[in-house]
Amino acid sequence: MLVDDSATMLMSIKSVLTKAGYGVETASHGKEALGKVTGGLRPDLIISDVNMPFMDGITFAREVRKAAGMRFTPILMLTTESEAAKRAEAKAAGATGWLVKPVAPEQLLGVVKQVVPGA
Amino acid sequence: MNALLAQFLTEADDLLAQVDEGLLRLERAPQDTDLVNGVFRAAHTLKGSSGLFDFPELTRLTHAAEDLLDAVRGGRLDLDAAMTDDLLASFDLIRGWLVHVTSAGRLPATAGTAAGGLIERLRRPLGGSGAPAAASAAAAADAPAPAVAVAAPRWAAALGGQWLEETAGWLEATSATLRLVRYTPDEDCYFRGEDPLHLLRQVPAVDRLVPVPPAAWPSADDYDEYACLLDFVLATRAAPVELAYLFRYVPEQVEIVELGASALTRLLAGEGTDAGQEAGQEAGLEAGQGQGAGRQAGAPQAGQEAGAPQAGQEAGAPQAGTAQAADARAVLEAALHTLSALPEHAAERATRLASAGRAVRAAAHVLGRDDVPRQDDPRAVAEAARRLLEAAQPVPGPPDAATSVSGDSAEAVQVGSRTLKVEQEKVDRLMELVGELNVAKNALTFLAASAEEEFGSRLLARRIKDQYAGMHRIAEELQAAVMDVRMLPLSVAFARFPRLVRDLGRKLGKSVELVTEGEEVMADKDVIEALGDPLVHLVRNSLDHGVEAPAQRVAAGKEAVARIRLSAVSDGDAVVVEVTDDGAGIDPGAIKRKAYEKGLITEARLEAIPDAEAADLVFLPGFSTAETVSDVSGRGVGMDAVRASVERLGGTVGISSAPGAGTTTRLRLPLSMAVTQVMVFSAAGQRFGVPVDTVAEAVRVPAGGFGRVLHQDVIQLRGEVVPVIDLAATLHLPWTPPEDIREVLVTQVGGQKVGLLVERLHREMDVILKPMEGLLAGHGAFSGTALLGDGLVLLVLNIKEVLGVAARAA
Amino acid sequence: MPLELRDRTATVTGVLTVEEVEPLAAWLRATARPGVNLRNCTHLHTGALQALLLFRPTITGRPLDSFLSAHIMPLLENRQSSKEAQKGAAQ
Repeated sequence: MLVDDSATMLMSIKSVLTKAGYGVETASHGKEALGKVTGGLRPDLIISDVNMPFMDGITFAREVRKAAGMRFTPILMLTTESEAAKRAEAKAAGATGWLVKPVAPEQLLGVVKQVVPGA
Repeated sequence: MNALLAQFLTEADDLLAQVDEGLLRLERAPQDTDLVNGVFRAAHTLKGSSGLFDFPELTRLTHAAEDLLDAVRGGRLDLDAAMTDDLLASFDLIRGWLVHVTSAGRLPATAGTAAGGLIERLRRPLGGSGAPAAASAAAAADAPAPAVAVAAPRWAAALGGQWLEETAGWLEATSATLRLVRYTPDEDCYFRGEDPLHLLRQVPAVDRLVPVPPAAWPSADDYDEYACLLDFVLATRAAPVELAYLFRYVPEQVEIVELGASALTRLLAGEGTDAGQEAGQEAGLEAGQGQGAGRQAGAPQAGQEAGAPQAGQEAGAPQAGTAQAADARAVLEAALHTLSALPEHAAERATRLASAGRAVRAAAHVLGRDDVPRQDDPRAVAEAARRLLEAAQPVPGPPDAATSVSGDSAEAVQVGSRTLKVEQEKVDRLMELVGELNVAKNALTFLAASAEEEFGSRLLARRIKDQYAGMHRIAEELQAAVMDVRMLPLSVAFARFPRLVRDLGRKLGKSVELVTEGEEVMADKDVIEALGDPLVHLVRNSLDHGVEAPAQRVAAGKEAVARIRLSAVSDGDAVVVEVTDDGAGIDPGAIKRKAYEKGLITEARLEAIPDAEAADLVFLPGFSTAETVSDVSGRGVGMDAVRASVERLGGTVGISSAPGAGTTTRLRLPLSMAVTQVMVFSAAGQRFGVPVDTVAEAVRVPAGGFGRVLHQDVIQLRGEVVPVIDLAATLHLPWTPPEDIREVLVTQVGGQKVGLLVERLHREMDVILKPMEGLLAGHGAFSGTALLGDGLVLLVLNIKEVLGVAARAA
Repeated sequence: MPLELRDRTATVTGVLTVEEVEPLAAWLRATARPGVNLRNCTHLHTGALQALLLFRPTITGRPLDSFLSAHIMPLLENRQSSKEAQKGAAQ
């Protein structure tokens, strides 16, 4: 599942993942994404932006971990170079790792393979 | 004497000369920062190189000199006469030592005492007694590889005694090091989506991986299956940067230590595993910095090191320090190596490719670059790796990098730039071997063809072609590298002209100024050498026929001093050399008349030739314009000889002239000439080649598309009428052109297109062209032969001559 | 289904995910002399490895996966033999 308030970002990452054969669900902010999770969506991987309206990425990560069946799901935070401080915070909230924007397609796929067994 | 020492002595000689010259000039211009930098760099390089050998006094003395020069360079000290004396004395002493080294292979026994006094004098202006600096110099000499930890951490024992023993022996034999990693996942790591085993699966080049169970398991009832209790210890040949990249999300959970044989041996012997020692090792990769004291493992020492833990683990931060850049380079080179030898088996291939891709991404990350390759395309990955390698330009430094002073990369590069003087024969031999490699490589294409045609295996053919593609790329790079070694600057060819112009000018009573430009343009040494005679000819011509006597010049309103300009510019694969004079120029009418009088042109052509093209007539054999034969320009073997020798080199020559204003002769030569690309085709069942640069295009024309104009076959090519020559007929080979589709190779010579009717087109190929020998030597239609991979001798056509033969036959 | 639990043997196929660690551990806890077939297992979650190390089932099928067979199996088998060696010494 891909969570970002930027439609461009959603589109670019989704196209890369779709081309690589992954099914991609999107949400434009943490609240919408969390709704999908509580509604029963069980993604293998969550890639989420940090700064979003309604619910930021870090809160979202923390909330996702509380959902049944989502304790172990890898979560990657999309960060900018300048948000390095956020990464530690994200990890404390349960995130697995991070991606630095802009994300090159090969880098994205590499990290997906790194964090998702069997991906 | 070993080759390295011999190299050092040669280098030291040059460096000492630079230092001497620099110091003497500095005395006169003490403020010249370039001079100071130059002397400093030379001393720095000398010190660095000396560290490779067991010459501690030499290292200490050069180090002291370097420190003094560094202070001067940094403006902290003004160089005075006494200091210069001391520096000169130091380098004189060193020169004496090196003589001794040359004969005895070691420094003289007195070196220590002789150096002592000078070192003290050199250090005095710096204020201190010099003791700390001297100590650090000594330490630097003792510790050539600061990144390698001196003792193994205790957890390394998990790898097992037998493995440690075998590995220690292997590391000893190869002087290699291994990276040991301890990965201690957090108990709750699963709840961040981490799977340590999955991460470990991705560590490249793992030699041994051992999961370490907890010392005591909880009882089965209390067991929490989602609390991670396992540790992992692994040994890998992967570079620190790769590891840092892989473990970048969990740096606080891993320790990485680089170890050599001795540390493992000590671990086996039970040394170096007390608690204090291990605390020191927590500093990870950087732990070796204080290794001199590390062995005694004094508590304060260990404490200090522990005060800076994580340093090694943070190595993945995107900043390319020298050590990291070196690591990155090693990784990239390894990746390129992997890519160059990808196995055929699909799964293996994918694994190797993926690991190479990961390595390249890791290196990109460390270098702070985003050149992340497509993982599934070996070429793209290799391409990216090469780009990154360029970016990670080696910053060569002395082996004791810990004490190297400068962070200025431009300077550092210059410090390390080394020149190797190689005998020409060796380079020529290398070139020959490259040629043979090309031939052997080309054999693969024939093998592929026969695999498909004779053995019916398209799969095998394709695999061979894959191999061929890989070899082709390497061969091309190798060839370019060797070519590069052969490159010389044009200044070599221009060197003799100042003197020649001066002497000839005096002889002819003409006053001439020579201007040279583009001396730095490089070309193959064969080209440079072959350029000599034509250039002499052209310059003589300019002096003799072009430039007027001073009185004439003044009368014509010109400056009395004439000017001859020799210039070179590179133009793609070619170098363009021009000889320009501001003399009288060529009078088109006079030229045409002369050519007619000598019977070189017919009356009809005399009328037809436009003035602009008249100058070209000087290239006709037997043409000479001077009213009197002078002993300067020779006797009638003028410009036609120039043209012949330039064309032999695969070049062209042109002349342009403005009457009264001067003449320019332009030579265009290939930058290199060792390998020729030819288009291979067959005619009447035989294979021939033509140089690719004469081929404009290849077209297939239906027989009906052939027309006839003035007894000449022609085809229409985009509205242009192109004459077509039946090559088989021209060479008197029995062949009948097909009645359906015909292959025509359109060549372009001298601006004119001519088609060759051939039987079948094959492919382009790199060949080493050899001159014709034996019976065919006099046959002008061929410019040379080349050995093909299947052992066949390919005749390479001289298109121009072929057209001549065809024209005579018509 | 990557994890197939029977009376005495468990068979792992493909990737054994973190979600299956719990059922595997529960099964190991409850089964006497369990056997686990890893032949077609391509990856084990760390938690599963840990459970195997704790409960030490008989490995009835060595994994074909090269990483598992090279780096993980020696430990699983070693445990096995040391356990048997202990038994032998006790008798």
